[in-house]
Amino acid sequence: MSEATSDRPGPVAPEHLLAEKRRILTAALPDVPFDGWTQRLLVQAAQTAGFDAAMAARAFPGGTRDLLDFFMRETDRRMLEALAAQAIGPDKVRERIAGAIRLRLEGEILHREAIRKALAAMALPPNVPLALKGLYRTIDAIWYAAGDHATDLNFYTKRLTLAGVYAATLTCWLDDTSEGQAQTWTFLDRRLNDVMSIGRLKKRLGGLGKNFPDPRHLLKIRL
Amino acid sequence: MTDEPPEVTGAGRRPGDLDPAHLLARIIRVDQAGEYGAARIYEGQLAVLGASKSAPAIRRMAEQERRHLEAFDQLLVARRVRPSLLSPFWHLAGFALGAGTALLGEAAAMACTEAVEEVIDEHYRRQMASLGEDEAPLRETIATFREEEIAHRDAARAAGAADAPAYPLLNGTIKAGARLAIWLAERF
Repeated sequence: MSEATSDRPGPVAPEHLLAEKRRILTAALPDVPFDGWTQRLLVQAAQTAGFDAAMAARAFPGGTRDLLDFFMRETDRRMLEALAAQAIGPDKVRERIAGAIRLRLEGEILHREAIRKALAAMALPPNVPLALKGLYRTIDAIWYAAGDHATDLNFYTKRLTLAGVYAATLTCWLDDTSEGQAQTWTFLDRRLNDVMSIGRLKKRLGGLGKNFPDPRHLLKIRL
Repeated sequence: MTDEPPEVTGAGRRPGDLDPAHLLARIIRVDQAGEYGAARIYEGQLAVLGASKSAPAIRRMAEQERRHLEAFDQLLVARRVRPSLLSPFWHLAGFALGAGTALLGEAAAMACTEAVEEVIDEHYRRQMASLGEDEAPLRETIATFREEEIAHRDAARAAGAADAPAYPLLNGTIKAGARLAIWLAERF
């Protein structure tokens, strides 16, 4: 943000009080299963992290909604860092996408109950825009990391498709009691297979189109 | 005109104005969609006038628009800006405009080029005035492209755009359409 606008109220830069926000979030997450994403949780977490209660309001002026938003951003960041450490080839789009989702969920395994509560909180009508923005950010981050360069409507269909896969996988993961969430990973694999088969079907249908009469030929017929 | 660019992008903006990030996203989105539409207009013209005497000139312009589009495609990805949702519509509308005016004759095709490039000239000038020193490379890119768009406009004028049938009506309609397209592509 520029100097000229910094005295005006406006969107707070993401770097603002970053260290403080991280400490408060870390302190909050273990208590979420008991307290839910509430104002009380936020204030207590600020105190547990060694700040006074006012820091809760300074770091998260929007209250628990800001805390939820920050949680999603931090999860995205951790996912991208984990993915970058994996060094999957740039041409392996499917592997990169599957890897991103898997690394994301594996990294958050200790916060599974907090995420369940977060999903419940974000299903409340006033929080739906927040949830959709967060979902978009996550999906966009995954596609970008997978090296997507779409500049047309494919940009949207790719993101919608992946949003469906990710949301389904997340729901599966929340209730997965199998060893190392093995069920979730095979579930994710099947969902990605489904999506890939859409691409193959499109190709087959595209080939079919070539066998249909071309209306332009009608104009060339001489009577 | 006071086209002196601000120190930084978004300096001096008022409450309710877009913040710099949104302003930049809009600029890149509308320019990518615009160059896409422009490339389609020339394709539409070539589909009809491919064998006429103005074909080489149109081909040269189409080639330049494709280079502009490539540059904005790269910017769109690099800056993480979502493309225009209406891109299938620009695909059709651009081609239809180019082919439609070309069917009215070569002069009408030139009048279409002239009208579109006039609007793009003022559009790029407005964008350059809103970009600050922190976005100097983007401003330079737009400045270069604007020069080429002005050259297209002048070439279309020299090729007899004013001889088109119902020239004032054609010019006004296409300009209004192009301005509406800009408004839409900035937002959707």
